[in-house]
Amino acid sequence: MIQFEHVTKRYGERLALDDVSWRMNEGERVCLLGHSAAGKTTLLRLITHETQPTSGTVAIGTLRGGRLSRAHRALLRRTIGVIYEDFRLLGDRSVFENVALAVRISGHFADSDVIPRTLRALEEVGLHGKQAALPGELSFGERQRCAIARAIVNRPAILLADEPTGALEPRSAAEVLALLGRIQQEGAAVLLGTTRPEVDDAFGGRRIVLEDGRLREGGAPEHAFMPLPAAQASQAPHAAPPAPPAPHTGGA
Amino acid sequence: MHLFFWREAWRSFQAHRGLALTTVFSLAAALALAGVFLLVSWNAGQALHWIGDRREMIVYLNDDAGEAQVQALQAKIGELYGTSTFVSRAQAWEEFTTQVGDPEILKAVGTNPLPASLRVRLRPALQNFPAMSECAKQLEQFPEVEAVRFGGEWVQRLDALNAGARRAAVAVGLIVALAMVFVLHNTLRLAVLARRQQVEIMIKLGASDGFVATPFVFEALLETLAAAAVALLLVFGLQQALAQRLDGVTFLPLEWIAAFVGGALVLAWIASAAALGRILRTVGA
Repeated sequence: MIQFEHVTKRYGERLALDDVSWRMNEGERVCLLGHSAAGKTTLLRLITHETQPTSGTVAIGTLRGGRLSRAHRALLRRTIGVIYEDFRLLGDRSVFENVALAVRISGHFADSDVIPRTLRALEEVGLHGKQAALPGELSFGERQRCAIARAIVNRPAILLADEPTGALEPRSAAEVLALLGRIQQEGAAVLLGTTRPEVDDAFGGRRIVLEDGRLREGGAPEHAFMPLPAAQASQAPHAAPPAPPAPHTGGA
Repeated sequence: MHLFFWREAWRSFQAHRGLALTTVFSLAAALALAGVFLLVSWNAGQALHWIGDRREMIVYLNDDAGEAQVQALQAKIGELYGTSTFVSRAQAWEEFTTQVGDPEILKAVGTNPLPASLRVRLRPALQNFPAMSECAKQLEQFPEVEAVRFGGEWVQRLDALNAGARRAAVAVGLIVALAMVFVLHNTLRLAVLARRQQVEIMIKLGASDGFVATPFVFEALLETLAAAAVALLLVFGLQQALAQRLDGVTFLPLEWIAAFVGGALVLAWIASAAALGRILRTVGA
């Protein structure tokens, strides 16, 4: 589902990722552990095509390598849910509107689709009673839940979480990790990036460790692959990764 | 489906009211210029049409042309050029005496020297100098015709005036179009920058360029609609002021108003869509 082959990423003189190769299967749970500036966020940004590798190949589903067109990038991102460390919520929109925006972006414009999907996602994260509140009126934990609701509302095939418990007190952090685990069990591949080993311990799954841009542990999934139970998968179908006919294959 | 985009456009319009009003008044200034020109053009067109209606060609007949020959000539003229009215020698003299009025002059003229004639009102397509000259040449070939007159000089002037008005219309249209493109491009750039964070988040969530751009395009359409209304109000005010000093100055007809507003909206749509295509490439990865 996700495959990095000898990926190197430089920002000017600074080496963010150095010859990283790893892969992740459908429905897998992976924790990306690394100290600050180890390259975790860069790796996540490469998956969402927010940045391009300096060398090497990144393959997501059938989209393999190269710079995608804007349309293909948008298509890819609609199949990936991302929980950002700083939430990235729209401050002038209510909780409901923040989550509903992701549903509309996915192509559902009718209120008859948007409202039930959004309410269900808010219920899943325990924010049903706060749907009219603005993000500024929520606690950090609630904002994090709102960001999670937005990331999962379209049932993405891949869920990326960049330090999702960074701003939370222990009880909220445990709830968020349990929620992410539940989403993975329903069929999504979940990749969680964190600096804290205790988060990795609590989250479980396969661990990959980044250190100064180099992969130190857990590049291949064979020892940790967790196949999805068929019954659960059929109950909660997740969006498949995109398969556009001809992705652009320009320079890296 | 579009309700969401309209709501977003209206929300943005309200959230950035200062920018929106600046845009409306800038567009209104450009559109008012076009509106004033349309008003002048409409009234000049009306005047030219009225004058053009009086364009006649006088076909003087030979004294020996019989009634049957004249009728045959009239039939031919009706077929080829337009409608004709026969004016006998006596009718021509009567008109002349009415126009001159002074009995001393009429006495000096003596007997009626005026020939019978046909007054030809040409079809609209033939009411221009080259066509009228050609018609005159052709009519002079008929044996019943002695001479043809049509006031070529003022017909040429009228034609030049018409052509000038058309050229001015194109020039003013281009200036207004460029002004609108300039205003909309800069306004939309500011609007996108003001909502940069929102646009970036939407792009990260997988929004297509069309999804991101549509509310901005709708906002531009709303602003253009408001600007067109303001411009039409200004032009109406001008027309009312002119009508008190000049007889016959009328406001634009409904079809012209509809074309004015529709044209402005189409232009705004094209300009904003093109501008956003460029602007969005600079925002978000």
